Amino acid sequence: MASLTPQVTTPAVPGTAPARPGRPRRPRVWRGVVLLLAAVYFLVPLIASFVFTVKAPDQGFSLDAYGEIFSAEGFAGSLLLSLGLGAATIVIVLLLTLPAVVAVRLGAPRWRPVLEVVCTLPLVVPPITFVAGISTVLRWGPDYLASTPFYQTIIAVQDPGFPIVLVLAYVVLALPFAYRSLDAGLGAIDVRTLSEAARNLGASWPHVLLRVIVPNMRSAMAGASFLTLALVLGEFTIARLLSFQTFPVWIYTISGAHAQVSVAVSVFSLLITWLLLLALSSAGARQRSGS
Amino acid sequence: MGDSRTGSKSRWAVVPLLVFAVIVFGVPMLVLLGGTFTREGTPSAANLTESLQGAYLTSLIGSVKISALVAVLGGVLGTFLAQAVVTSRFRALREGVLTASGVLANFGGVPLAFAWIATLGNSGVVTTTLGLGDHGWSLYNFWGLTLVYLYFSVPLMVLTVVPALDGLRPQWREAAQNNGASTWQFWRYVGVPVLTPALLGGVILLFGGAFAAYATAQAMVGSSVPLVTLKIADALTGNVLIGHENVALALSLDMIVVAGLVMAVYLPLRRRSARWLR
Amino acid sequence: MNGARVEFRGLRRRFGSTVALDGLDLTVEPGELIALLGPSGCGKTTALRCLAGFEQPDEGEVLVDGADITRVPANRRDAGMVFQSYSLFPNLNARDNVGFGMRVRKTPAARRHARAQELLELVGLPDVGGRYPHQLSGGQQQRVALARALALEPRVLLLDEPLSALDAKVRVTLREEIRRLQLSLGITTIFVTHDQEEALSMADRVAVLRDGRLEQVADPATLYDRPATPFVAEFVGAMNHLPGLLSGDQVTVLGQTLPVEGPRPAGPEADVLVRPEAVLVVPDGEGEGMVVVSSFRGSTARLRVRLGDGAEVLADVPGHDSARLAPGTAVRVRLVERPVLVSARTATGVTAAVPEPDAVA
Repeated sequence: MASLTPQVTTPAVPGTAPARPGRPRRPRVWRGVVLLLAAVYFLVPLIASFVFTVKAPDQGFSLDAYGEIFSAEGFAGSLLLSLGLGAATIVIVLLLTLPAVVAVRLGAPRWRPVLEVVCTLPLVVPPITFVAGISTVLRWGPDYLASTPFYQTIIAVQDPGFPIVLVLAYVVLALPFAYRSLDAGLGAIDVRTLSEAARNLGASWPHVLLRVIVPNMRSAMAGASFLTLALVLGEFTIARLLSFQTFPVWIYTISGAHAQVSVAVSVFSLLITWLLLLALSSAGARQRSGS
Repeated sequence: MGDSRTGSKSRWAVVPLLVFAVIVFGVPMLVLLGGTFTREGTPSAANLTESLQGAYLTSLIGSVKISALVAVLGGVLGTFLAQAVVTSRFRALREGVLTASGVLANFGGVPLAFAWIATLGNSGVVTTTLGLGDHGWSLYNFWGLTLVYLYFSVPLMVLTVVPALDGLRPQWREAAQNNGASTWQFWRYVGVPVLTPALLGGVILLFGGAFAAYATAQAMVGSSVPLVTLKIADALTGNVLIGHENVALALSLDMIVVAGLVMAVYLPLRRRSARWLR
Repeated sequence: MNGARVEFRGLRRRFGSTVALDGLDLTVEPGELIALLGPSGCGKTTALRCLAGFEQPDEGEVLVDGADITRVPANRRDAGMVFQSYSLFPNLNARDNVGFGMRVRKTPAARRHARAQELLELVGLPDVGGRYPHQLSGGQQQRVALARALALEPRVLLLDEPLSALDAKVRVTLREEIRRLQLSLGITTIFVTHDQEEALSMADRVAVLRDGRLEQVADPATLYDRPATPFVAEFVGAMNHLPGLLSGDQVTVLGQTLPVEGPRPAGPEADVLVRPEAVLVVPDGEGEGMVVVSSFRGSTARLRVRLGDGAEVLADVPGHDSARLAPGTAVRVRLVERPVLVSARTATGVTAAVPEPDAVA
């Protein structure tokens, strides 16, 4: 659900006055109450989590929990695994989606509905049902395919060091976000005119894609990549049920022994999400002001 | 002529994506469907029947119940918050709330559960500070989970509804007044009907999010609240009678059907809303 | 329907540091169509919104048939309004949009629908009742909005630049129809516009506003021929300011002596105000003037002519003459023999609110 709102701007209309509500007092009170309650509800858990992590039984205040994150067993391994999976997922999802989106805009608009459906289904189907299907395939696969080369493949994709099966699953989960982000990015530039101009100047199709379209889509691609990364760094269901030790699964595993550390990591990961999304929205803003 | 050649050629650019989706997404889904109707190697509807009975049925109903509650509560609260932000004169407030919503709507999974455990869990900061434990407070039940789910649902609703509220043109309110309508009549005849598709769409998104949520529930309540995602995970990790492994698949199919039905309502609604609020 | 008399008395309204209305006084006679004309930000829309009840004036009052309605809420006022654009309720079809006011008043559905149909026929759209706003063209939407504004038989009709979002052709047809309808209904109508042509062609009287004040209110012909202030002269049509010498009832300008009408400034030196169509241009190899720019407008062509002393004058000549008055042609310039307006001496030159022909060489 990582959909950043499109920046909703209210154009100031010269000459018309800002509409003033007839009774200015009542709505203001009502609004204040709503905002105050929201602030309490949303801020208290954040503050409390932080307090929880720095509260030491004897000294009163200590940042040890944050220090322990880095020394805790499995931290580096699981974080690196998640980052690696994220990088692989980003590359594959962009390689699959970008040509398809461009093609649908330029030459094969009849395929758009198909693409829309394919890129909506992963949103409708809950991830846990997806993993139920995947684990069944992985369980049955070896029985039926024992004598074929596919057997080796099935074993290879489950390598705990770098589980390719997770990359494949994450690509499916990331498709809707990548598709939407790239499609919106293409919508903002006039691909047809751009590519026709380039073709007119003698460029080949791969050249058009790499030298003309991709550079103009940089921020849409950055957006798709950020969303994918955020998704992979937070994904728990599939990794846990296929028994791979990714970062979120690691947080869950250590919670029993180190409650404070696991909360500290949670605060930490919220900060990371925040930074990713800020980077994303400022990249979007830069594109808007640039174009 | 150039166009048709481009058309037939560019079609090939779509193929890798489709092939990938068919293999990686389609095959597991087909296997899921096949497995649902197979028990011990023979075709059977027993898994499906079992998934709609006893504790399984309870968990399915439990999931639908909490998702519906979260969707309705989140929908109402999110709409009020969005309206408070939209009608505010302070631009910074609006930008701040929207950015925060973007982050918090993505704040799910295990970290969310731990943040709430640290706040209102048995030894949470707020619980101990206010001594809630003595009054029988517990976060690890249906209502606790609802409270936590709302944490990402309300922001998601805000993100969905703000564009719709922005789309309500001031001329409509003025035209209604000009035709003698009171504020209440404006909302009844114009405001609410115009917003309904967007509101319902948001509510359905919230339902889908809560319905599919697994990580937060697993980290928070384990199996003390009956939820279908927890039951599926249980069955997948071997906690099930021998020979009944495929019940997990049947439960998954139940979930997909519920989610699919809900989405089938959402998509046409979204189209209508987009047309009105251009 | 009978029109009401509308009076604005000393209306003041400020938004922060900008003054939208600065003591506006204006009376609109029953059954009259008055156009509020002025540049954007002159307060014309604010005045209309004060009458509709969407704005509260800081000072002053609004009277309808002598009754002060300044504090009456917007939904209790007897004035139908047509907005600039997109004001139709998107969730209701045309018939229900027109019938909205009757629905609010709990009119039975059958009567409501019949009346809505009547109104749709009145605005020339008998067949669109079942259509939704997004299925209507811009012009159709504004017609439906007009029908909706008339549905409650208000005594005042308010039009807030209703044509500004439409194509030029639709704009002209629709304004003629609005005028026809207004005349047949006899409803007092206030029409806000920044388009002088629209104002001059439709209104019984035109009120020119500037910085929240009334500059002049007069019938279109008077406004055009005898602008009361230089601002009005500038804003309505194009106007030449030519240097002249006053003596008694006469003024000498460009070597011609013409009678003066209207007030005379004190000194002998004055500006003579001449419309471009009152300037005659004849090709003449010996002439002192030269055509600098010519822009063809179909039935006429507007020339910018440089005179011997370096001053420039705008002239409108018949379109078929434009070929022999191409730029570079030496010409003789004369003024039409008729009484002229004079004003105190300002900078010599041409002022015009319409686009200058400079672009076309």
